[in-house]
Amino acid sequence: MGKKRKHSETQAVEPKKKDEGAPERPKRTLMGWKDKEEVQTQTDSNPESPQFFRNKEKVMVTCSRRINYRYRHLMLNLVSLLPHCKKDNKVESRSSKGATLNELIELRGCSSALFFECRKHQDLYMWMARCPNGPSVKFLVNAVHTMEELKLTGNHLKGSRPLLTFSSNFEKDAHWKLLKEMIIQIFGTPKEHRKSKPYHDHVFVFSIVDDHIWFRNYQISVPHNESDKMVRGGLDKMTLVEVGPRFCLNPIKIFAGSFGGPTLYENPFYVSPNQIRALEKRKKAGKYAKKVKAKTRRKMHEQSNPLEPDEFADMWRE
Amino acid sequence: MGPRSKDLSLLQVENNVEDDADDVIDDPSEEEESESESESEQEDVKLMEPSKTAIYNREGLVERLEDISWPENVDWMHKLSLDIDQEKEVDVNDDLARELAFYTQALEGTRLAFEKFESMGLPFLRPPDYYAEMVKTDAHMQKVKGKLLAQKRQIEEAEERRKSREAKRIAKEVQAEKLKERAKQKKQEIEEVKKWRKQRQQSGFKDGKDSMPDFGFEDGKSFERSSKKRPGVSPWDRSGGKAKQGGGKGNDKNKKNRDFRDSKFGFGGKKGMKKQNTAETTNDFRAFNKGGAAGNKKRKR
Repeated sequence: MGKKRKHSETQAVEPKKKDEGAPERPKRTLMGWKDKEEVQTQTDSNPESPQFFRNKEKVMVTCSRRINYRYRHLMLNLVSLLPHCKKDNKVESRSSKGATLNELIELRGCSSALFFECRKHQDLYMWMARCPNGPSVKFLVNAVHTMEELKLTGNHLKGSRPLLTFSSNFEKDAHWKLLKEMIIQIFGTPKEHRKSKPYHDHVFVFSIVDDHIWFRNYQISVPHNESDKMVRGGLDKMTLVEVGPRFCLNPIKIFAGSFGGPTLYENPFYVSPNQIRALEKRKKAGKYAKKVKAKTRRKMHEQSNPLEPDEFADMWRE
Repeated sequence: MGPRSKDLSLLQVENNVEDDADDVIDDPSEEEESESESESEQEDVKLMEPSKTAIYNREGLVERLEDISWPENVDWMHKLSLDIDQEKEVDVNDDLARELAFYTQALEGTRLAFEKFESMGLPFLRPPDYYAEMVKTDAHMQKVKGKLLAQKRQIEEAEERRKSREAKRIAKEVQAEKLKERAKQKKQEIEEVKKWRKQRQQSGFKDGKDSMPDFGFEDGKSFERSSKKRPGVSPWDRSGGKAKQGGGKGNDKNKKNRDFRDSKFGFGGKKGMKKQNTAETTNDFRAFNKGGAAGNKKRKR
């Protein structure tokens, strides 16, 4: 199936190129200098010329085994939000996780991946990776609310292209910029995708607050009578209803390779949830010891600062 | 710190803590932290200062960014990304403010996008007659609607209850007022008659009928129908006239049973401290079902 597509694409391209007159140098693309006859790899976006950019992004979404029901629902929600994704079966491996995943991605012919890893049935880590040799990020996911919650009342077309809004913090630093680019490529539905729907009726919000990336998904609802035109002043009456899901990403590390490779960035504020739990336990465990210590301390203090004899001490003595 | 507390709230305390080799980031810094914590016995020690050995490879990041990013002159239509200015710092722990910030960001973004689309002449909004598969099923939306309606109904009921409570209180006050009025009126009239009688006595019974003062109660008004709402009810009827309701359809047997029970137990509890198991009541079977032996066929005999 993939091969047919490649052929038709190259054939469609060639006559167009011939029409342009003088043969120009092939543009520099991510995979090096491209010749017209060269078969384009499927797992790459192909900017042959600026007018002919086609976003051929495909995302593979998988999870690890022993994933929680809540996180599984989150993953399924994301699958329904991204029409350009392919959901794969659970991935088993503990060791050599990176290699297995890379192979899987190649096999399915995808260019990016979202991998949900659930540790100890409690913590969810999300990997966002670009397949062939692209960077990958590991996040800790917090504050998960899935679309099934009845408080999130909005609804939108399945597969319509979302508007992505980013807060201005994303331009502040290099790692945020990289994350922004990855998010745009993964979460943005390619134009003219098979499963995409024409209108734009929902918005994604990615916002950095307290060094976490918060995600929200809102439905755009405007009261309008006619088909496409907006009622006068309708822009003011536009309201957003939350559709969900909601989650909060805490970046842990950015790697240069896909699911591995040299570390490019570590989050200095990140504390692993295991550490947090350990600290809690240690705090609780030290209670008795602390009490005993406090007692001895008090005793020492009393001994070192003796009280003056009280004048009323003997008042009631027989 | 906000996100830390969020992590805490999601975790449950476990029995054994295993150190996950993959998750430990900076071993030296972590040990420092734990040591300092146990020494100082502080309450809430999380990673207060950023760990100093965190890697930050700016050039590498920029290089990777250039590797993966799409070419510069790609049409905005492919990206559909908008950058919204975040004016002020939002406190993470203040839920309302945070959600409001997200909402305003989304709203701003949508407005900008809409303007762009309009300028390009492309369709933006979904027309109301476009039906296609939605991301949440209809059944789910029904549930959502049900929940919203239930909430609304709850609020309304609470309102109604409060209002009726208020109204009852006011009605009670008004009733008390009325009773007081009536008592006062009655007293006044009696006083008047007494006065008149005394007057008459004093002036020696010589006046005729023409000197009778007009009493307020002499016009036929008091013989008119009292404004009682339940006219057929006698004042000593504690059930308020409702004792016989719904009795039209009962069979004779049940009615007799019911009547007997009512007279014994109904409307005010036990009638007097009378003896229950006396010689007369031992053989009194009015309260029991007749033909009880032909009852449960399923029961083994």
